[in-house]
Amino acid sequence: MNHPTSHDELLFPGDDPSPSRRAFLRLAGFGIAAGSLAGCSRRAPTSALSWTQAPEDVVAGRAWWIATTCGGCPSACGALARCRDGRPVKLEGNELDVDSRGGLCAAGQAALLGVYDSQRVPGPRWQGRSTTWAELDSQVGLELDALRKRGKVRVLTSTIHSPSTRRAIQDFVGHFADARHVAYDVPSAAALLDAHMHTHGVRVLPDMRFERARVVAAFEADFLGTWIAPVHFAARHAERRVPGGDRSMHVQFESRLSLTGSRADRRTRIAPHELRAALERLRDEIAVRAGAAAPARSSLREELGAAIERIAEELWGARGASLVVCGTNDLAGQLLVNEANALLENYGRTLDLARPSLQRSGDDRALEQLAGELERGEIDMLVCAGCNPAYELPSAFARALGRVKTLVTCSPEHDETARIAHCVAPEPHFLECWNDAEPFAGSLRLTQPTVPPLRDARTLRSTLRAWLGDTGSDREHIEEHWREAIWPRARGSESFEAFFRRALHDGVVELPRENVATPAFRGRVALEPSTPGPAGATLVLYAKVTMPSGAHAHNPWLQELPDPISKATWGNYACIAPGRAASEGLSDGDVVRVEAGGAVLELPVYVQRGQHEDVVAVALGYGRVGTDRFMRVGPQWIGASPTVDSGDAVGVNAAPMLAFEGGYLRSDVHPLRLVRTGRRAELARTQEHDTLQLPEDLAPHGHAERDLLHARDGHGGHGNPGLWPDDHANDGPRWGMTIDLERCTGCSACVVACQAENNVPVVGRDEVARHREMSWLRIDRYFAGEGDEVRADFQPMLCQHCANAPCEAVCPVLATVHSAEGLNQQVYNRCVGTRYCANTCPYKVRRFNWFDYAREDELANHSLNPDVTVRSRGVMEKCSFCVQRIQEAKFEARRTGRPLADGDVRPACAQSCPARAITFGDLADAKSAVARATADPRAFALLEELNVQPSIRYLGRERRAGRKEDPHGH
Amino acid sequence: MATRIRATTLQVAPAPTLVAPGTRSSDVTRDVCSPLERRPGRMWWIGLLIAGSALLVGVACVAYQIKVGIGTWGLDRTVGWGFDITNFVFWVGIGHAGTLISAVLLLFRQKWRTSINRSAEAMTIFAVICAGLFPVIHMGRPWLAYWVFPYPNGRGPLWVNFRSALLWDVFAIGTYFTISLLFWYIGLIPDLATVRDRARGWRRKLYGWLSLGWTGSARSWSRYEVACALLAALATPLVVSVHSVVSSDFATSVIPGWHANVFPPYFVIGAVFSGFGMVLTLMLVARKVMGYERYITQRHILAMCKVLVFTGSIVGLAYATELFVAWYSGSAYEQFTFANRMRGPLGWGYGIMVGCNVVVPQLLWLSRVRNSLLAVFVISLLVNVGMWFERYVIIVGSLERDFLPSSWSSYVPTPIEFGTLLGSFGLFFTLFLLFCRFLPMISMFEVKTVLAPEHGAEHSREGRA
Repeated sequence: MNHPTSHDELLFPGDDPSPSRRAFLRLAGFGIAAGSLAGCSRRAPTSALSWTQAPEDVVAGRAWWIATTCGGCPSACGALARCRDGRPVKLEGNELDVDSRGGLCAAGQAALLGVYDSQRVPGPRWQGRSTTWAELDSQVGLELDALRKRGKVRVLTSTIHSPSTRRAIQDFVGHFADARHVAYDVPSAAALLDAHMHTHGVRVLPDMRFERARVVAAFEADFLGTWIAPVHFAARHAERRVPGGDRSMHVQFESRLSLTGSRADRRTRIAPHELRAALERLRDEIAVRAGAAAPARSSLREELGAAIERIAEELWGARGASLVVCGTNDLAGQLLVNEANALLENYGRTLDLARPSLQRSGDDRALEQLAGELERGEIDMLVCAGCNPAYELPSAFARALGRVKTLVTCSPEHDETARIAHCVAPEPHFLECWNDAEPFAGSLRLTQPTVPPLRDARTLRSTLRAWLGDTGSDREHIEEHWREAIWPRARGSESFEAFFRRALHDGVVELPRENVATPAFRGRVALEPSTPGPAGATLVLYAKVTMPSGAHAHNPWLQELPDPISKATWGNYACIAPGRAASEGLSDGDVVRVEAGGAVLELPVYVQRGQHEDVVAVALGYGRVGTDRFMRVGPQWIGASPTVDSGDAVGVNAAPMLAFEGGYLRSDVHPLRLVRTGRRAELARTQEHDTLQLPEDLAPHGHAERDLLHARDGHGGHGNPGLWPDDHANDGPRWGMTIDLERCTGCSACVVACQAENNVPVVGRDEVARHREMSWLRIDRYFAGEGDEVRADFQPMLCQHCANAPCEAVCPVLATVHSAEGLNQQVYNRCVGTRYCANTCPYKVRRFNWFDYAREDELANHSLNPDVTVRSRGVMEKCSFCVQRIQEAKFEARRTGRPLADGDVRPACAQSCPARAITFGDLADAKSAVARATADPRAFALLEELNVQPSIRYLGRERRAGRKEDPHGH
Repeated sequence: MATRIRATTLQVAPAPTLVAPGTRSSDVTRDVCSPLERRPGRMWWIGLLIAGSALLVGVACVAYQIKVGIGTWGLDRTVGWGFDITNFVFWVGIGHAGTLISAVLLLFRQKWRTSINRSAEAMTIFAVICAGLFPVIHMGRPWLAYWVFPYPNGRGPLWVNFRSALLWDVFAIGTYFTISLLFWYIGLIPDLATVRDRARGWRRKLYGWLSLGWTGSARSWSRYEVACALLAALATPLVVSVHSVVSSDFATSVIPGWHANVFPPYFVIGAVFSGFGMVLTLMLVARKVMGYERYITQRHILAMCKVLVFTGSIVGLAYATELFVAWYSGSAYEQFTFANRMRGPLGWGYGIMVGCNVVVPQLLWLSRVRNSLLAVFVISLLVNVGMWFERYVIIVGSLERDFLPSSWSSYVPTPIEFGTLLGSFGLFFTLFLLFCRFLPMISMFEVKTVLAPEHGAEHSREGRA
């Protein structure tokens, strides 16, 4: 592997790897015109406009918000792109999206960086050489002509949520005698889809309405972290998680500690091989309560049986307002879940099939069939789009790809599949193109370009249409499809133009529900009697919250985003339960060889409490080729070690261990062998003390742990009497924030939001290991308990903007001062860098620029927010409460001649939070949401006894019975 | 203490004399001036080679750090100060003995100070130079270090923050350096004139310049002694103030382990303790290498040992006070911090600190130990090691584990930091060796006042001093 800068030249001789600065500005000039016009959708952009003829509404320095759709995963959350000077600089959730409600996950927000990725394929390639689209179309056209009558053509994609693209694929496939479209997902939800095919006659996902559920039982489903549409689920689930009358109860059964499990009210560890029996017991227990005869009891571990009985009782008590979800890719298991939900009368209430989710459509049986065809060398042409089969499918599949006569990939980057493909027809980034999406039946989204394509790319839709001889543009194809298929469903009186313009403006359209009967439960599907799976060590492959799939592996924000549970960055690791680690003599950082599914991986160990003893868990999505681009990320100095070695990759790829079992792509693999290598590879973690428990021998008597998560009795968090009069008195706003610890799921969307908004640099693995991550907002994670009882509490931690700030008193040069509006402000150009303020900060939220952090990638620098200074070395920085947004809102209010209203200002973190855990506003205004939240009895000021008078109030967790609580108030 | 010693010196002739019996004034002049007049010996060159090499290592480390960034140190988001401020406080502390000896003991008329005060003052100045280096290089942007001075400027004008203990450090160190330098230099003038009078050629010219035309007239002496007394009076409060201010860097913050009322007196006594440790180290070497056994006698060493055992005991009391207050405060954070300090990851550092600063000096109660030069030398070294660790344990140990366990970290210094520490010792000893070579190391005119009383005339003048 070569040096990354010369990388492109070697791969693409003669191609310009990235647009020059001048070219970029030219494009950007076009972009602002195009973007703004598109945003207003007055007319389609046809020509570039120079600044001298800028459209009337375009004001340099003023942001444009363009409604679009996030393309980070198939959930298709509505998004708004904030564009400055003709380029997108921030992605946020679209509040008009009734499902995501303005939230956007970490990966979705980070997807912004993809558009500025300098290593994207510059243009189409044929047989390893750059070519033009015309050339490529004629070459592929020749091949396709030969295949029209006989020959096998397959289109392999991930879930396609775009109706117009699905239509294009159908048209394309219909053109050949033997052609098919195969979709797959990793991790797969095929069994869940097939189960509904069996029980309800529709191959869809029911829309899961967590907000209607009083009792939620989740089996191996990380619905708050990675499963299907976590943003939607988190938003709905959070609604019922606020302490009070209708707080839902959430019970999790899982093999590894997932983000979701860490927040459960009760949690039971379950080995993958026990899952089917457990679901069967659950179904039986519910059936008995529904009046069925007691069936023969299947054998089940006693504690597990008891836990199942207990949850069955609770579910039954809340029938009609309960929910059983299961993430296993086992048809029998999913059928049992469907039956249980049907018995609980959840369909039509908490499970909505009238507006089903189309966010997953992968079909593992079709994929397995394709694997067979590939193996036999029968496929003449395989067109891959939105997927990377050479990387993310079992190794046998990847090998068989070599037998395809013509392998076409639409990958925008030079990925594993592109490296073996005959033809690369790159797709643009979702922020550069027109697209549409239908994540739920009848709920549509539009994607519109926010910047003209930075690469010579074409969408799959256009590519397939072009190969059929249709040279229309994406916009034309979409308009045509919407005119024919979508607009009539709206059944409104609007003209199509008005309908489409509204859709463009809003980004989302909710069509009226169609008057067709909702599919009903058809009754139990006969199953072969369950045989308990083989016991013993099992490898569980999982998607990581911070790296949902390998498609994001080239994203430095996500690579450095600490996993909310392990707090590890840069790479994957083998999670091993404490008991197993102890018996095998392993500890964090010991490198082990994991042998399973015919593949071998070498990974460092991470000892994960709350994990089943028989399970070793490894995250998918790592080990992507080309991630050695991060070799030189972060400061380069004599003591630094590279984030990744040249030719190596960040983490290792566990996908070759995936296996087909019973027609489904299973992410639990058995058997497993674990061999210690004797080597060590330290994990780069941002938090190394994992609990609030003080080290046993050091804890003062009666204070075994620190109580940082609860409001204390008798304290409302209203400060102590001071010796001096308040010298910050003012009659303007006093900005403050509340963070609800019950709502917070730890998903880390806010961390990425803050990074994107505030130009927080990426520092690389070595710097993280040296505890020098730069994030202004971090999420402190504290484990409590062990084994089944383990729980994680998340506490987003950012500058508390203390009214009596210790940092302000100690800076010798007044580089950190208090504003009249209650902000603690850091003045970068005054700072000389004594770090005294950081030392004396009790919350340790200040971040120092230890080096000049590399910003060598000119193209990537275009993602920087022009409203926020890029800090140089030697200065302190920290959360500013997004002061640039406060100023913008104030100017806007003044411009429009109205007072600042509650909700006008929302910092990036508060905006992005899917669970709406963060409230920001004016504490001086008693009617503001934040002032009301501050009055909540759960509100407390962290470390109140220091009398620093923070502007942030946490809404504490409820004290739970059965746990030893040890408040140490003073 | 001072009163007691004074009483002894006045009433009984000192048992081990301040200057070896039979030494005459002319001997003093010859002995002290001769190192300046002959080529330096082998030992001096070896010393300079080692010290200079260490200095160069330090220069290279600091240059690299300034070029690349503070990240070349092992600090992190939790521990913002490590070796840098530890070294700073250590060197400031070292300086204190010089001021105490030259100013306070002058005011208290302690004659035993005469043969060591010059070196002790030089040590003060060099130590303050070393100390002053660290606040500058520890800044993220040292090229803007002048921003900490309150002077009219065109940037606003921007002013400094008088609430910040760090700013008061600037004033305290600045004042301390200025007064110490003046006091030292004024004290040098009569001796520089003596050197001038013995020298020829360019050296005569140079020392002539430096002695500012000293004539030795009665009027000159009279003025001179008034000036000395005034400067001594000015310098005396500095003994207390400088380290009190330095301690405020910590005491005024909210961090458990830093936020302690006892810090000012605790730091001052620690400074005097460490300063005397360093004076002892230097004097024991100097008297051997420079052959000053007749001027730096057992009498001096005994006196300094007594100071050491006394201040060491107070330091022990301060440690105990900290622990008591942590317990008595009822604050769980304080209690944890001190449990952590004693038994946590830096417990070994706490062990070194208590062992070297409290336990080891107690050996000096034994006259056998006190009279063994080797034992005293080893103890003086250990005192310095212990005092360095005291600052390290306070600064790093308190920062590593404060309020939120999520941010706890462990500080591991990098080779660059070790190089910088080494460099500061290199700077100190290079300056000291140059001092030995180019300036009279012992105050000749003052030693002449404490020669055996056959010169009755000397007494009357001494009385005026």
